[in-house]
Amino acid sequence: MCHGLTRMTRIKTFTVFLFFFLICVHPRLSAADYSKFSHATQKHQAACNTCHKIPTKNAPTFPDIKDYPDHDACVSCHRPQFFKGAKPVICSVCHSKTSPRDEARYAFRNPASKLQFTIEFPHDRHQDVIAMLRFSHAQQNYYNCTVCHASRTTTFKAAPADHSSCFNCHWKAQQPVATNCNGCHKLATPYVPITDPTRISIKFMHEGGGEKKQHIAECTTCHINITKAASLRGLKPDVPITGCTECHNKEGLRQDLNTELVAIDKNRNFTCVYCHAPNVGSLDPPASHYLIAERPALKRKDIK
Amino acid sequence: MRAPKLLFFAILLMVTVVLAQQPVPRQTGVLRLRVRVKADDSAPLRGLSRKRFFLIPGTIEQNRVLIDAIERQALLSRDCYYQKIGASSALINWLRESDCESVYCRGVEQEFVSGPKAVPEFATAFATSQKEYGNDETARQWLTTNLAPNVRDGFYRTQQTVLQTLLKQAGPEVHSVMTDRNGTAYFTDLGPGTYVLSNLIPTELGQTFVTWNCEVQVKPGDLATEKPYLVSNRKDRNVKCVGIEKPKPVCATD
Repeated sequence: MCHGLTRMTRIKTFTVFLFFFLICVHPRLSAADYSKFSHATQKHQAACNTCHKIPTKNAPTFPDIKDYPDHDACVSCHRPQFFKGAKPVICSVCHSKTSPRDEARYAFRNPASKLQFTIEFPHDRHQDVIAMLRFSHAQQNYYNCTVCHASRTTTFKAAPADHSSCFNCHWKAQQPVATNCNGCHKLATPYVPITDPTRISIKFMHEGGGEKKQHIAECTTCHINITKAASLRGLKPDVPITGCTECHNKEGLRQDLNTELVAIDKNRNFTCVYCHAPNVGSLDPPASHYLIAERPALKRKDIK
Repeated sequence: MRAPKLLFFAILLMVTVVLAQQPVPRQTGVLRLRVRVKADDSAPLRGLSRKRFFLIPGTIEQNRVLIDAIERQALLSRDCYYQKIGASSALINWLRESDCESVYCRGVEQEFVSGPKAVPEFATAFATSQKEYGNDETARQWLTTNLAPNVRDGFYRTQQTVLQTLLKQAGPEVHSVMTDRNGTAYFTDLGPGTYVLSNLIPTELGQTFVTWNCEVQVKPGDLATEKPYLVSNRKDRNVKCVGIEKPKPVCATD
């Protein structure tokens, strides 16, 4: 009898706990967070121009999409959230201050938020179209990688961060046009963009190469895989070692690779510094370096 | 006595399964292409820049149907295409000057919008763009958005239609790269074997069209660091692939 009562008490306690959980906690867990906007939400997946007006009014130099959608885009579905209290949380999606007297908005797009789209860009097709074919009488008088990739520092080129290098051809008529956002922007799991590319040979400078600035060449001379890349997915601006050793490890010219491999032979703790920072230069040289030097590959630990 | 035997075989089986699942490192090769051509007999030998080449798996015999299709295709020069659509001679010359397949290959400078060198198609598109974009600089840089489609890139699209048909015929394993300014290009990550090197679409060179279809052997671990695979339209002892030249047909006058 006693045992039965205990069991009943347990069941009652559990039922009361479950009841309070359901009425107090659960709704909070499942409630939508209106301070965050997601393009992945089913109801946010209508045609882009349902919300985004193209062009926006604030585009300074050329027709562009430079601002958030108007209030109508939100109010049409979110009237209750829009007029909830003095500082509706939904306003903070676009507005830096949640106040009916302040229109201040974040930059579009908000750099602090994660990216919700990846970019689809076929380098191969653009190389075919924008770059000159065959002989040129005016060598520099043609479009090339620098149309989109301007110099950011002496080490890296910049990736396009806005529509300026797209819309001059794709504003209208040439697909994907400005109203066909999905032609370039593909919905993805939100991610933080990588702002600095991974560089193995950190000491290389695009504008370098001695007094004659011999590094200034056509991009595809070294970035050999770009002209065959049909997508940005998995794209690496990889440069094979042969791109360097054509000059930097040539008899009668320079022996930069051989010199450092010999230095490792003599001292296995030697750090390669001609091209690399210590984090890379202290690793085992890859097999490709030894192949170029026409030597069998070695591991530092095997050197006495 | 039976249990240890069973255990031994079970372990052996497990080791075999694990080893079978380990990916075998694939040894790939590289083909360094060097394309040097003469526009005519008196012209110097120069690198053929900005030309796409394709590497198709298999021998010439295995790709015979495709090669026949490449060789049989109708030859259409850029000049003939633009004459046919009624383009101005100024536009034809502008395209010819930098050997462009479409208007996208170079920027349109102000001198080609107005003045004695003006291209009529550009001038019209510029005027429309001025009204639309309200800014001279944007109007010039965005000029192609107001060109008629066939003027803009009709020739390129015609070529692409032929190319896509041939590529479909060539199968899914085709590699392609474009030569740089010096006429050099690298095919990387190639499985060892025999390939056909082809330009698929004949290349306009002076007064001729050149087609290359040559068999290439790729060996595992070949880094192509020594001698490049030399391609030309002229025979030479170092040239491994000589193109077949056909004279440019006269443009139809209809």
